[in-house]
Amino acid sequence: MQKRNRAFFLCLLLMGLVLAAPVAAQDEPIDVVAWFAFTDYRLDWLQEKAAAFNEQFPQYNVTIEGFANYEELFTSTTLAAEQNSLPAIIQYFEVATQDALDSGYFKPVAEAIGDREEINGVEVALDDIVQPASAYYTIGGQWSSMPFNTSSAIWFSDMNVLRAAGIEEPPATWGEVDAACEAIMALDNAPQYCWTFPNHGWFFEQWLGQQNALFANNDNGRSARATEVVFNSEAGLAVLEWLDDQAEKGYLYYSGTQGGGSWSTAQQPFLTGQVAMVAFSSSDTAPFTETGAENGLDVVASFLPYNEETGWTGNLIGGASLWLVDGLAPEVEDGALTFLLWLINTENAAEWHQVTGYIPIRESAVEMLTEAGWFEENPNFIVASEQLAQSEVTPATSGAVLGAFPAIRDIVTQAIDTVLLTDEDPATVLEQAAREANQTLEEYNLLNAPEE
Amino acid sequence: MSGLVPVLIIVLAAIFGAVYMANVFRRYRRNIAVGGLVGAASATAGALLVMLPLNFCTFEPERQTIDRVFGFLLLAIGVGLVLWPVNWFIRQRFEGNPLFATQTQPGAFKGWLTPALLLLPTLAILAIFLYYPIFDTFSLSVLLARLGARRSVFVCVDNFTSLVTDPSYHNTVIITLFISFAIVIIGLALGLLVASMAYQPITGARIYRTLLIWPYAISPAVAGVIFLLLFNPAGGFINYVLSNTFGFSVPWLQDPTAARWAIIATSVWKSMGFNILFYIAGLQNVPNDLKESAAIDGANALQRFWYVTFPLLSPITFFLIITNMTYAFFETFATIDNLTRGGPLNATTTMMYRIYQIGFVNQDLGKAAAQSIVLFVMVIGLTVLQFRSTGSRVTYGA
Amino acid sequence: MTSVPTEKATQVRVAPRVQAVQRRSWIPKRWYAHVILWIACFLIGFPLIYAIIASTQNNAMIFSYRFTPGPYLARNWELAIVNRNLGNYMLNSTIVAVAVTVGKTVLSLLAGLAFVYFRFPGKWLVFGFVLLTLMMPTEILVVALFRLVINLGWGNTYLALIVPFLASATGAFLFRQHFSNIPAELSEAAQLDGATPLQFLWKVLVPLSWNTIGALAVIQFVYVWNMYLWPALIIQGQERQVVQLGLRTLMSDDVMTSYGPLMLGAVIASIPPVIVFLLLQKQFMSGFQLTRDK
Repeated sequence: MQKRNRAFFLCLLLMGLVLAAPVAAQDEPIDVVAWFAFTDYRLDWLQEKAAAFNEQFPQYNVTIEGFANYEELFTSTTLAAEQNSLPAIIQYFEVATQDALDSGYFKPVAEAIGDREEINGVEVALDDIVQPASAYYTIGGQWSSMPFNTSSAIWFSDMNVLRAAGIEEPPATWGEVDAACEAIMALDNAPQYCWTFPNHGWFFEQWLGQQNALFANNDNGRSARATEVVFNSEAGLAVLEWLDDQAEKGYLYYSGTQGGGSWSTAQQPFLTGQVAMVAFSSSDTAPFTETGAENGLDVVASFLPYNEETGWTGNLIGGASLWLVDGLAPEVEDGALTFLLWLINTENAAEWHQVTGYIPIRESAVEMLTEAGWFEENPNFIVASEQLAQSEVTPATSGAVLGAFPAIRDIVTQAIDTVLLTDEDPATVLEQAAREANQTLEEYNLLNAPEE
Repeated sequence: MSGLVPVLIIVLAAIFGAVYMANVFRRYRRNIAVGGLVGAASATAGALLVMLPLNFCTFEPERQTIDRVFGFLLLAIGVGLVLWPVNWFIRQRFEGNPLFATQTQPGAFKGWLTPALLLLPTLAILAIFLYYPIFDTFSLSVLLARLGARRSVFVCVDNFTSLVTDPSYHNTVIITLFISFAIVIIGLALGLLVASMAYQPITGARIYRTLLIWPYAISPAVAGVIFLLLFNPAGGFINYVLSNTFGFSVPWLQDPTAARWAIIATSVWKSMGFNILFYIAGLQNVPNDLKESAAIDGANALQRFWYVTFPLLSPITFFLIITNMTYAFFETFATIDNLTRGGPLNATTTMMYRIYQIGFVNQDLGKAAAQSIVLFVMVIGLTVLQFRSTGSRVTYGA
Repeated sequence: MTSVPTEKATQVRVAPRVQAVQRRSWIPKRWYAHVILWIACFLIGFPLIYAIIASTQNNAMIFSYRFTPGPYLARNWELAIVNRNLGNYMLNSTIVAVAVTVGKTVLSLLAGLAFVYFRFPGKWLVFGFVLLTLMMPTEILVVALFRLVINLGWGNTYLALIVPFLASATGAFLFRQHFSNIPAELSEAAQLDGATPLQFLWKVLVPLSWNTIGALAVIQFVYVWNMYLWPALIIQGQERQVVQLGLRTLMSDDVMTSYGPLMLGAVIASIPPVIVFLLLQKQFMSGFQLTRDK
């Protein structure tokens, strides 16, 4: 470690020299590379923004590189860190937060900003960030990363089908989903299945949080480091049993390809009318609404249905934040910070929301959009923000922070898969998943946790 | 570990080695005492070879039976690893075989410096990038080690014994073997069928051959990408054809069994060119007069093929079994990563794919190293098989 | 092989069979073979043809199963090549594949020369050392190899993709086998002329070895071009990534993948190895002594 650090600093020194010389001499722009977990229209949007940024700030050259998904980017980051070839900015999904903090790859953005109020003329407006995001990404009272794309799990319904079945409102609870499905499947031209979701561990976390149940001990890892998962509770079992029941009744379409957690294979059946309803991330409100309308659907977004027996406490955020790599040359770091702040300025935050469906990350952007009448015209787009705003803030609804969470989420995804695809008893499956998760967590904490 | 147990184990190994070699020496009517000494020394060396790096940890009192069993297994492997070559070497000497006598080829260049320089780059690369990683894999396999972690912990053979009791790992091994056998059997059968048509001197033979073998150059990743579209759940072409002609469709990527067959189909398509290529060559080398004479004997085409042609093709068949097995073990990785990513429900997670997932996605290097070694042992088995049957074609001893 | 009759019987009764074939000649010769071959060629060729057609279409056209080229080639090209930088990946793949192919051929020639034309002590040991590597596929070593290569400081460089693959037992043995079949008189004559080993290699052996060189070149080029796991681990970021991995940036998990550009990428990524293979097909076959007249 020691040796590598020395080599690293030597590299930095060299890099600094190499970079500093031309800057002074001929105004060569400073390269800032950012890694994002998008390969679709969102990558195009980011690349357009980077081009606009480079024009506005000719001293920098921001490049955006796309990765297929969060998991892949997470793996790539770990591998790149081993090779000392990290870029300047990395988009990490929310479950990687503990790993990111333990890894030492990153510098808290608050520390990098210091007491500056603007960088290169871009305002530092962290107090303008909406509450759910600031709750998740300030750890120990400090901004560790820059919120960017924040979402929540919501519910989309094709009201044309629901109304045909005599249902006027999207279902709000599990029981209402069941009742709606019974009516829908009894239709003459019933869809193949009633509803689907990308069977991804994130939804399990959402349904757990709604019931105010914890995922991990120590207040979901927020009062102290999580040392054990506790999702194998009654609430956790209720989720699996409900899904099992829905699948058995033929209501739930199994969407999991590619090892589970495949989003597009849950989105497609809804947009093509194979299912009438879908649980999805609010991140795709725009394509759902637009493509849905093109395909003749009446797409209405609503809160994610909850377990009426335990009631609704609130929902978790999802999505990712932007992390600043530690040990950058000062001018690169400033360039990266400038880009981060600029990327979530009011106009960009509002545009990003409109293009995708991620919640507007700044209060000023919400105001701007409200004044322009955006939410009145597009009611689907306010659902996620409202669902988060109405959520009671408890450790359960704040979301878990624990080590090896990406691997543990994968274990949960596998458990959902097992319940949906086999006859195994949900209780056994859940216990088995908890055992595996605990072993993973224990090993992680043993090797990765900093000395107390 | 210190104390009496290691000494006991070494003595046990030494006695075994001594008895074994003394017996060998006795049969050749040589000095039994020398034999015993040689045997004891080699067995001790073998035992130390495996047990010193492990510090005899498998025999610690708090360990479980399974660890002890594993320890004895390792001990046997270590002793065998040294004793077997020593035994072989000594027998050759006793039997007076001109072992390693440098074959004198007329006109050979002399000197050792030039060949040393010629071989240096090859040997250096093999030593650094193949031999060293093998040793490193072994030393990693006894650690609890995570990518990017601050510490690592010695865990003895836990990474191996946990595999023995892990049903999901057993499942992975079974899936690997299932996929491999399916690829071999289907691929070879179809390859032979097509080749037996294409080797004949018919019009357009050259064009046919080129059109049949080009998938050899396609990558397993590209094969996965193309078949991802063909098997697409949202309306892939294969389901379109199935539902239009037979009235049903298959959830290719959502059903565990179907996904496994999707991987097999893609891999068979990809390796078909190679199989056809080698079978054509093999069939062309089957002497025509043998077939003709069989025909006269009253054998029909199928009998002729089965009793005359197929046995003559067995070296090629065997070569193709080995290469297809290797393909199924390793090269299917890219197809799986693009088509199913090991899912659903790990139904397409092969041993290689699991090593990647455990080691690099879950960042657990120690367990991945242990699984690599299991796979390594299987590959050694395959290679030994390969040499046994192709030994006649490869001549050893420079 | 017990049913093989004597040679005599063969000679006597060949004639009637020839007649039998002639009698049936109003049917196209071996019509069944043509049918089976047509089907085989079609089934083998179909996925690629489908990919080529899809690369000119958009998703709507692809999923309505039209088998005529669509008007979207230019748009797909723009997305794959311009926006997603496929050209850069192709360049990287070419650099790596050519470097390994050339390097490995040279090293294998040198090793073959040493094994066949030199007498030196411990040759069997060296030979065994090389032979044993046949059972060490790189894939099972990836964990350790990854650690080694990053400790060398080669992470994210071409070196990591090239150097570990420059030597192999296959290459050395291929040339060893080939050289041992070359008449010994040639090396004697060369020695009498006072040629150095390298001169002998360059002037005499290489011109006699083009088929073997071609065969090895095909295997190596295809192998390296198609490498997947190793670059996925050792190359992060897009500057030096190879095209097999670059295709991943054309796939999307969230919204449905745009298959047109993806298929275009898959087709483009396959062109170089297919061309190399088809060009060197003859050498490939005869290098492995795969033709009737060895």
